[in-house]
Amino acid sequence: MIMLYFLLLPLIAVVIAPFLTPKKATYLSSFVFLLPFFAIIGCLFRGCPEKVSLMSLSAPLGEFYFNFDFISHAFGLTICIVSAMIALFALPYMTHRFEEMERNVDSEFRKYIFLYNLYAASMLWLVYSGNLVLLYVFLELSLITAFLLIYSYGYGNRKWVGLLYFVWCAVAGVLTLAGIVILAFENDSLALDVLMQGGKVSMLAWAFIFFGMIIELPVLGPHVWLPWAHAEAPTPVSALLSPLTVGLAGYVLLRIALIDYSFIETYRMPILCYAIFSSIYAGFSVFKQTDFKRLLAYSTVSQMGYVLVALCLGPFGLIAVVIQYMSHAFGKSILFSSAGGIIAVHHGLRDLTKMGGLHDSIPAISNAAVVGFLNLGGMLTIGMLGEFFILRGAVETFLNPESPAFLGWTGSLPLILAMIFMFMLSVWYGFYTIRKVFYGKPKDTKRLEISSYLYLPLYIIGIVSVLLLFPPLSTALIQGLNSIPGLCLGGVVP
Amino acid sequence: MIDAWIVFLLLLLAPVVSSIPIVLAYKSKEWTEKLPYLSVFGIFISVLMSLYIFFTFPKELPASQFAYPWIPDLGINIVLITDYLARYMGVVTALIAFFIAVYGLDYMKGDYRPSWYWFFFNLFTASMLLVVYSDNLFLLFVGWEGLGAASWGLIGHWFRDDDDIAYVGKAGRKVGPLELSWPPSFGGWRAISTIRFGDVPMFFAIAAIWVLTGNLNISEIDWGSLFMGIGAAGTIILMLCFLMGLFTKSAQVPFSEWLMTAMTGPTTVSALLHSATMVAAGAFVFLKVTWYIEPWHLHGVPGLEVVYTVVLFVGLLSGLYGALAGSGMLERKVLLAASTMSSIGLMFAAGAASFWIHEEIAGINLALLVGFWYMAVHAFAKASLFLVAGHLIHATHSRFCCGGLEFAKRMKTPFIATIIATTFLVGMPPLTAYWVKSAMDEVMELLWHEHHMLIPIILLILTSLIYSAIMARFLSLNFVRGEKPEHEHLEGGGLMKLGYTMMVSVLFILLYLIFTNAETEAFVHAGYASVSFAVGAGALIAYVLAVYVPRLKVFSRVPGTFFNDRMYLPFLNDYIVPKTGFFISRVVQNYGNRGIDGFFNTRVIPGLFGIISRGIRAIQTGYLKSYVKIVLGLVMVFLVIASLWGLGL
Repeated sequence: MIMLYFLLLPLIAVVIAPFLTPKKATYLSSFVFLLPFFAIIGCLFRGCPEKVSLMSLSAPLGEFYFNFDFISHAFGLTICIVSAMIALFALPYMTHRFEEMERNVDSEFRKYIFLYNLYAASMLWLVYSGNLVLLYVFLELSLITAFLLIYSYGYGNRKWVGLLYFVWCAVAGVLTLAGIVILAFENDSLALDVLMQGGKVSMLAWAFIFFGMIIELPVLGPHVWLPWAHAEAPTPVSALLSPLTVGLAGYVLLRIALIDYSFIETYRMPILCYAIFSSIYAGFSVFKQTDFKRLLAYSTVSQMGYVLVALCLGPFGLIAVVIQYMSHAFGKSILFSSAGGIIAVHHGLRDLTKMGGLHDSIPAISNAAVVGFLNLGGMLTIGMLGEFFILRGAVETFLNPESPAFLGWTGSLPLILAMIFMFMLSVWYGFYTIRKVFYGKPKDTKRLEISSYLYLPLYIIGIVSVLLLFPPLSTALIQGLNSIPGLCLGGVVP
Repeated sequence: MIDAWIVFLLLLLAPVVSSIPIVLAYKSKEWTEKLPYLSVFGIFISVLMSLYIFFTFPKELPASQFAYPWIPDLGINIVLITDYLARYMGVVTALIAFFIAVYGLDYMKGDYRPSWYWFFFNLFTASMLLVVYSDNLFLLFVGWEGLGAASWGLIGHWFRDDDDIAYVGKAGRKVGPLELSWPPSFGGWRAISTIRFGDVPMFFAIAAIWVLTGNLNISEIDWGSLFMGIGAAGTIILMLCFLMGLFTKSAQVPFSEWLMTAMTGPTTVSALLHSATMVAAGAFVFLKVTWYIEPWHLHGVPGLEVVYTVVLFVGLLSGLYGALAGSGMLERKVLLAASTMSSIGLMFAAGAASFWIHEEIAGINLALLVGFWYMAVHAFAKASLFLVAGHLIHATHSRFCCGGLEFAKRMKTPFIATIIATTFLVGMPPLTAYWVKSAMDEVMELLWHEHHMLIPIILLILTSLIYSAIMARFLSLNFVRGEKPEHEHLEGGGLMKLGYTMMVSVLFILLYLIFTNAETEAFVHAGYASVSFAVGAGALIAYVLAVYVPRLKVFSRVPGTFFNDRMYLPFLNDYIVPKTGFFISRVVQNYGNRGIDGFFNTRVIPGLFGIISRGIRAIQTGYLKSYVKIVLGLVMVFLVIASLWGLGL
């Protein structure tokens, strides 16, 4: 029960923060996300009750409850720490943004912090909701709040971009809802625990949810909204949108896959090839971007390809979905914030062609960006485990003679090489970008004095991402994930 | 006896923890001048711990293996091992890092970002120690990635690209479309991208080993049944994937370019990473894995011979390539880098020869022992030479070889250190490397006599002779017959001298060890064989000749430039690969993204909505007549369908 109260803490901030001064509101917001973060860490070690029931509705809706399993914890702790840190980062950034927009800082900050808290809280509640309807409600809530944030405080033609984002994600939401409705009538309940015990997901329901979620994820094709939305959103919103929101599509797919894996099994090859192609395509796109935030947006598409690849690779792949989400969230929130830092310090500088040698003026931000790219590339951070599990999933699926999808060493070689190449690309474009933005001949070697809000939160995220690779955190987390039915070695998923 | 885990924690964490204060104090000039001493002290603790492990820890399995749970359900554990290789290599790594760190206190004084340097230097040392001691492949890979990240940071240390002294290649020198000149920030990016090219396949191979054997501990994996289970194709693919990581890290052909451009880093970095530790890590892991694979017992396994033949020839060819490339070079550090890749190649070749060699001394395969001891001798000798090169660059403000006898008289310590390091390294009797090289000759000779492989010994002898000549050339061009330096700045450098004096003196200890250790007895024995002696004498002659005539006018143009330009391998790295990559990027961006974004997103979808909307609006004319028509039309359609249905169609 106590865990439920921790999860409801952000609600307090949603209500109270708008009445405080910007600084106090920021601290409050950060605090109400940090507390559940530590509570979740406690849960990893000591365990906590599996569910807290809210109410029971008649069929086909089923029970509404909060679900405390390790998957939710993993997603939850990521959302908490990123939201808490980005809230701090946003203080100088948004103040600066309001001044730039020539608006009253205090009154705008009230509106902004309300939307921000509601946005972050809706994502946190989403991953803990134990009923697909509840999950859908929070999905739409996060969509609306994010839309409003982009619409009101974005850059460029923000109204058009906001609408673009809203329309695409609304389509994604409607398709998913259609899938959920079909699911409801097939199983007479939408409560996850009921579904997990022998629930069936028909191909039609799967198809609706799958196509809905690959728009939200997104992969190549329906990804059109993403570079716009991520580039033009105010940076703290980009730093939640890209790391946390889009990956939630992966969360939804993971939950459905745990109920019934048959869809993925049937269409494994086309989905896998599509995901790898999408990831490599987006990886190559990164090299040619001239806008830093847009560059990061394409890298998100590339990383989400990893998530979809992982989804196709059996139980180890499914664990990798979780870890990949975490490492991408840590890395990308750091990177978007460092892009934001450059914007704030260098007067709106986003054009890569005008960058180069920035390390001299803002070393703290530059080094944070390195940590961010290490996360994306899966070096020395939790991302390493993600990559390792994806590779293990690939071996289990294609090289294990007992697997139904066994291809043999020579047969699976092209696929394996493509995946290997996919992993290489993220380090390549990462360090290429670092060099292009921060290194080379500096225009000005004077070190700028910058607000510590702009970099300290990023290092905290970075430290968390490194700590999560090592014991005791990874021991608790990975062993916990591995104990979930369907994810463990002898689970229902082949 | 201290608890083993306390020793290991101190060993691995002391360097990292001791470099954190200087990172936190990065803004204060006063503190960043003092705190490097703390960082060096951290490495000194590692030295003590590695020595403690060397003298007191158990040597034989299972007592030499120490395990702590990490993700025990899945077999990922913190497993460290103190076997023969780890014990020696640990001391070598820690000692070399410490000597270089002492030298670095002087060399890096007044640098513009000391915090960065010391953090990555110490992170690198810790990572390397982790690679050396770990038995679990995943843990090893953590250290491996640490090496990659730290090397990127250190090579690109002078990120401003504003000082020609940090470049590689002559500014403005163009061959075809290529400018053969590389700045530091580029060197860093080149290093990490090349290394990544090998790391991911290696990671895949580790994942495959994990699945197929259910174990990640190198010493526990049943390699024989793993290879039998996956057949010839599987063995070859698996091992080549694994070796990709080792070859790229060790800069073997054709992945050697990153090592040459890595010379853009500070010289301390070149000394630590590019002679003794990081590039040697590839060969070290190969020896370590081969140690437990015991391929000499696995001749029945299909495919394994192919793998070891590949390594043998990649090693030997890299050896020859490096030596030849070095023979045309005039940049101090790049010359040494080329000779390093040559030596590493020989280590690979010696290790790979173990497949065919059955001789064992004190229970250790002769070929592996040779590979390993050559690594140790080379590490100290080459690190000394790099440190001397760094001192010379400081003293002459030039990264090109220069300095004559007169200069040598004023720079006595580096001159003597260079003489010792080169002569002890090239394998002239009776100095340290001679005994190891003799055993290597013996190994290759065995391949010839027992397995009819003549090419390896020819390649080895050829490499040894050229190698000896280029080392002598380094001595001669810098101290004997080089041009007079334009600048001379000879004051100071006390700690630098101390660094390489300590480093070079270890070569005497190694000589002593070779004569006293039980397992190296065979080296001494091999030293008295006639072939070995002939090769040693050849090396001596080549050395003397090259000291006397370091540059041949006749050759300086035709093969000289060709070798100096690394046989135009940069074209692969600087032209073919990036051009292909950027071509794809351009296609993707200009056609793909513009197509999707500019056409699909802004034309097709809004256009479709427009058409539908116009269609709907077209109905709503407001005239009663048209609405009646629509309704009547719908009624007609309904009637037709109803009647068809009624007819049973």
